Amino acid sequence: MAEYDQPPLSHPVPPDTPRAGFARGLSGAAILAALALACAAAPLMADGSAVHRLDADPVAAALLDGRGSLSFALLAAVLGGLLGIGWALLAGMLGTLTGSRAERRTIAAAQRMAGWPLALLVPLAGGLMGPVWLLALVTALTAAPAVATLAHAELSGLMRAEFLTAARAAGLAEGEVVRRHLIPNLARPLLAAGVLALPRVLAAESFASLLGLGLPPALGSWGASVGLAARLGDPVAFVPPALLLALALWAACAIADGMAAGQRKP
Amino acid sequence: MTDASVLGATKPAPVETEALTLMLGDRVLLDRATLRVERGQVLAITGGAGSGKTALLGALAGRLPAGVDMAGSARIDGHLLIAQGGRLAPRRPLALQVAEVVGHHLGLDLRSSLRRMADGLDRMGVPAAARRFDLPPEQLPEQLRWACLFAMAVAVGPAVLLADAPAAGLDPTVRLRLLHRLADWARADGVALVLAGRPEDGLAGPADRVLALRRARLLPPSPARTEPLAPLEQPGAARLHARGVGMSYPLAPGPRGEARSLAVLHGIDLDVRTGETLALLGETGSAKATLARSLLCLPPPTAGAVVWMGRDLMAASAPPAAADGRGDGRGDDPDRGGLRRARRDLQPLFPDPAASFDPAMTLGAQFGLVLESLRPDIAADRRDHRIDEALEEAGLRPEAALRWPSALSVAEAAHAGLARAILSEPRVLIADEPASSLSAEERETFLDTLMAVRDRRRLSLVLATERYDEGLRDAHRGVVMLAGRVVESADAGTLRTAPLHPYSRAMLAAAQGERPALEGDAPSAFAQPAGCPLRRRCPLAREFCAQAVPTLEEVAPGHHVACHYWDTPTDG
Ligand code: SF4
Repeated sequence: MAEYDQPPLSHPVPPDTPRAGFARGLSGAAILAALALACAAAPLMADGSAVHRLDADPVAAALLDGRGSLSFALLAAVLGGLLGIGWALLAGMLGTLTGSRAERRTIAAAQRMAGWPLALLVPLAGGLMGPVWLLALVTALTAAPAVATLAHAELSGLMRAEFLTAARAAGLAEGEVVRRHLIPNLARPLLAAGVLALPRVLAAESFASLLGLGLPPALGSWGASVGLAARLGDPVAFVPPALLLALALWAACAIADGMAAGQRKP
Repeated sequence: MTDASVLGATKPAPVETEALTLMLGDRVLLDRATLRVERGQVLAITGGAGSGKTALLGALAGRLPAGVDMAGSARIDGHLLIAQGGRLAPRRPLALQVAEVVGHHLGLDLRSSLRRMADGLDRMGVPAAARRFDLPPEQLPEQLRWACLFAMAVAVGPAVLLADAPAAGLDPTVRLRLLHRLADWARADGVALVLAGRPEDGLAGPADRVLALRRARLLPPSPARTEPLAPLEQPGAARLHARGVGMSYPLAPGPRGEARSLAVLHGIDLDVRTGETLALLGETGSAKATLARSLLCLPPPTAGAVVWMGRDLMAASAPPAAADGRGDGRGDDPDRGGLRRARRDLQPLFPDPAASFDPAMTLGAQFGLVLESLRPDIAADRRDHRIDEALEEAGLRPEAALRWPSALSVAEAAHAGLARAILSEPRVLIADEPASSLSAEERETFLDTLMAVRDRRRLSLVLATERYDEGLRDAHRGVVMLAGRVVESADAGTLRTAPLHPYSRAMLAAAQGERPALEGDAPSAFAQPAGCPLRRRCPLAREFCAQAVPTLEEVAPGHHVACHYWDTPTDG
């Protein structure tokens, strides 16, 4: 009789990688923190107060640019995260108060918008509008739908959790259930969803600045420096901001991934 | 030795092991097992989770799991291993996967592989209409996937078939039918069939020989408890009444915007007496869990009434302004309509105990909340004492109160769930498959604890389960449910010995390891046949069954059956 054994191809078993994202998220956070520190300390490297950007040491200049990029990204990410989370909470609230139709519509809008190339709005806004805070708001808006989608998925998963039923069986009123059980368990997943905004706003801003339509030149931005260096054909000025930007983007993505991975059940 | 010469003269068996020893690190999984499976013999190996069944099958198949060392010898003829859970790639069309496996083993092309597969499906009793090879396995019902896997094995026709946890997760009646067909094929074609699974999977029924893998040894299984621990006491007066309880879920509106809903529970009447244990028996889709939750009003049913000690719970659980008052102050009245009082008396046990604890709080903190809410009469400084008592009564140590839910094992979580349920000194426990996540021995321990608690506190117990024998073993009365309706209700003794409804008979047969007299698979909730929900599977079905849903009629005192032809003999 022929020798039987399992065929090689037909039964691939997906490998499970528990908490693989965690280490990545941690290193991402460390790198981003180091970058932020370096950027904050950059003025000490560039001697004195007045920094003549183009003739300064390119690394110091790139670090100075990082101050603009990173602080803008932080501002927009906080705004975007809050907007997205608020969106998801609004949908959830609509769902409980007026029925699941309204909830589904609200969140379907976010899902649809998350697929649009909203990042294109940022250079548009940068070209048309003056104040930085308006630009931050628009950038935040581009990131909000994705955050809302994820936050809502987490929220509705949690709303179905068995332990909420158990709490109701213990006679807790709905307000109590929300206060004692829902909110403590919601903080982490919502934070994870909010962090999703960080890589998005950083990328959107860099893209806009690259086109010269992003942050005002006075603030400085990696995207702008990369664009300028490319246009001038200056590799020495090009490499440091491009590298730093790539590093920051990777770190932001790693943090967002790590948070989301830590959230998923093992 | 004469023995050896006799053995040498006969043909060697397809599976033979000699002092086979398996070690996982320094833990002995299997200690010097000598095993022999003849052609056409069906061997069942049962054992709890982690007892080493998978490692044993792996050793037989020559593919030891990582980290397991082997000593001794194992000899096996051309074999095929059906791994745990089937291991089909979820998104590739089934036909391709089958052809790959069959073709790999027999060197056939796609057409001939599929033809052999079709023969196999015939032997597994899958009707031609249900064969959808072009679909990926993830879109096929679980039962069809298992039938396909078995059919694939039949198509390959190995000398030995090893199956790890075959058809696990299917309903007992469906599982036993498939396993019996597989065993029939093995006997007819002279295949040595080794089935491994948990003791409660009912593998023993179709097998010729059963060995239990316990403490690293293969031994004859010890019979499970069939009698109640202590003689059951006579129940008192009825306290919990359900009248016409129905549940339907809203669906997306139809093509013309009309509201649609899916009814899963149809007007159930039920009485639970004090000190009575009532088993709700049913398989997937029977809505026994929905009924259990409706009794607790979590969520309240959409039709009918649930009355506890003369108080209508549904009126109490609906806030005055809206049907669903989440998130604002409306629900904060401490004892709305006596609901909290009723919650104190009616406590649930959940099917997934680990998920029923808030991961962000220690057990003690959650128990404290329960006491604070349900037993305001217990002073705050007495609460810890009460919690320790409940934990000990449920078979845990008081220190468990300091632990986080994620640190509990499944069994500990189940016991902790029991502890929480008895914290408020309830009168009724409503348990929905409370032990389904536990394996054999843990399960017995848990059920014994539950029954001891019940007897000590003279609790009423509503126990929803798909295990017919186990549910009825400790019950006064049983209610068999099918597709949201009660099809038979009688005292436990009658249901265990002489049920009348074809579905109850099938469940009994499956529980005893016999071949259930039902054909085909359970229909989905969205495609219920008109008339009797069982009629496509029922051996007694006639024309009329399609026209009217049978109603419950009393066939003997306290014995109700919903079937048009319950008095027809099965073989008629
Ligand atoms: S009513 Fe008909 S189909 Fe239903 S169980 Fe009775 S005989 Fe079978």
